[in-house]
Amino acid sequence: MKIAVLLSAGRHPVSSTAVLPRLEAQAIRIATRLGAAFGVPDEAAAPFGLHAGPDAAAVADALGQGLGRLEHIALSEGADPVPALAARLAATAPDLILAGRRGQGGGESGIVPYALAAALDRPLIADVVAVAPGDEAGTLRLDQSLGRGALRRVVVRGPVLATVHPDAPAPLAYAFGRARRGTIVSLGPTADPGAGPVIPVEERPYRRRPKVVKGAPAGGSAAERLKAATGESGAASRGRLLVDPDPEEAAREILAYLRRIGVVAPPASHPHP
Amino acid sequence: MTRLRRDPRAERTAIRVAAGTRPRYDRTAKPAGGRPRRDPRAERAGQRVPGASRPRFDLSPIILSQALHGDRPVVAETRPRPAPEAAPRIVVVEDPAFLVAVVPDATGGRLSGHDRQVLGAARTLAGREGGVVVVSAGPCEGCGPAGADRHVVLDDPGPDPAARAATIAAALADLEPRHVLFPESLDGGDLARRIAVRMGVALFDNAEVVAAAGLVRPARGRRVEQRAAPGRLATVAADAVPDHAGAPREARVLTVATAPAPASRLLSTERIPADPATVPLALAEFVTAAGNGLTDLDTFRQVVAALRATPGASRVLCDAGLMPRHTQVGASGTVLAATCYFALGISGAPQHLQGIAGCEHVVAVNTDLHASMIERAGLAIVQDAQAVMPALLRLLAQEAGEQEAGHPAGDPS
Repeated sequence: MKIAVLLSAGRHPVSSTAVLPRLEAQAIRIATRLGAAFGVPDEAAAPFGLHAGPDAAAVADALGQGLGRLEHIALSEGADPVPALAARLAATAPDLILAGRRGQGGGESGIVPYALAAALDRPLIADVVAVAPGDEAGTLRLDQSLGRGALRRVVVRGPVLATVHPDAPAPLAYAFGRARRGTIVSLGPTADPGAGPVIPVEERPYRRRPKVVKGAPAGGSAAERLKAATGESGAASRGRLLVDPDPEEAAREILAYLRRIGVVAPPASHPHP
Repeated sequence: MTRLRRDPRAERTAIRVAAGTRPRYDRTAKPAGGRPRRDPRAERAGQRVPGASRPRFDLSPIILSQALHGDRPVVAETRPRPAPEAAPRIVVVEDPAFLVAVVPDATGGRLSGHDRQVLGAARTLAGREGGVVVVSAGPCEGCGPAGADRHVVLDDPGPDPAARAATIAAALADLEPRHVLFPESLDGGDLARRIAVRMGVALFDNAEVVAAAGLVRPARGRRVEQRAAPGRLATVAADAVPDHAGAPREARVLTVATAPAPASRLLSTERIPADPATVPLALAEFVTAAGNGLTDLDTFRQVVAALRATPGASRVLCDAGLMPRHTQVGASGTVLAATCYFALGISGAPQHLQGIAGCEHVVAVNTDLHASMIERAGLAIVQDAQAVMPALLRLLAQEAGEQEAGHPAGDPS
């Protein structure tokens, strides 16, 4: 089982110093665990990191997070990393490629894993929180986050690309000795960095905008916005009121209401059809 | 025009009681004109809330007017609404100059709040001449009031997102919209990036401002914002753009040429719902909470398990040690993001209401008609929660029994 972790040069959200993005540190934890589950025959088959950018020092923290080897493709600042990464990944052919779902401190568009999956013609599983070997040989079982604690368990065969969700297990602690023992392999640029599709943008300092208060009428007064914020103007203003009903009737009304808004499963659906 | 002159002597003769020698007058009859005579005792009796052991009175104006007319308070009624408006006219765009497509998540066939915001953003981009078209994989209801002029319903391609992207990309290629908007949610953002790579078009993701003049997105850890003219594909951040506030649109159904979805490369997919007993309260979808009006917390736990809800509690119960502290809802506990909140025996202190401000639906059971929670609730029941909980359990058990009878355990179907 060969696992590659895509690494990016991140910026800390508060101090803006160069840092390994947390999502990629979580991806390293998933990769090292999975590598241990499969058993590592030799050093070359261990999970490795891959970074394309001007400076390898930006991602050297990944060695301390648990990777033994980093591959660095030298690219000029602002060049499209997808062709170089795709060429290197096609050459090494890892069975699993892990990446963060978004970058941190850069463009943060999250498009690179998708472009790589298209270039390598591999299935992409987004927002993964856990990866385990499947029941059959050569298959992987990935748990995708659907938000609010719900998961989708996907079983897929063969080489696959997955992006990591923040709900994945917390990253391993940084270890200085591991960071000193790890090696960084520098590779020359393997393909011409062509320009991907880019939108011309105009940049300004960020301005925080007010969040939309749901249900408040446009141009309403402060009292109306307060009512909307405490939820008194929504369903409450057109709600139903039952004064002293029979408890049985009240239970029927409650259940019908809960089913209508879809939080309680309807009675007709049988759990095991 | 002069007013008719009253004749007090004739009026008094008309109400004179004939029996007896002493002159007596029946003043209970309603006078023909003028202001009706008030009867404070009858009004007070009419305002009395039936059933409570302690005398309690409902002083809200509607009850007062009913009491004035001698009616008893109604048992079930819909809240007074501010005069039924005529149904708003549906706006029809016969021949849109251009199309703005919206691809909603539409989980479970319903538009989410985020989807409605994206439709509002699309409506601002479309303006008066353009048309908004909703492209949904599977059925989706409520598109017209949310601002959709056209609706394309595609066959549900299954759980594989690659197949879904292929189906929707084929439909978009046929429709040729000027802009396509997606919600920047887990599924919507995934779909948008797949389609962007498929079409070879740049994606303007996570737009926080959507206007015909330009889109704005944060970048580099919210240090800068990037502005660009509306392009082909964009995703819209949550809670950044208001819903469509204008008149409803027609959401006319369109048919487009579809391509067969490619074979799925996933061997199997299985949805694992969140375990409501262990999911953090802040993430829970459906919270059932107990307040000081409950004494039987064992029944409450059974109700929570039967409804597959996450348990919550008011501050009073947590302070008393009857419920764990991490279940506390409110300003000093957890602020919920639930879809539905079911309050049993909670009157609704302001700090508690702050905790449920984000809940779309609230169901309240409380003995106090004037509790803030009853006012806040979409379905409010003035009844003892101790009596309603066993009734709810019985009803659920009865339904489960009927289901068992319909599908016996040995039946393979």
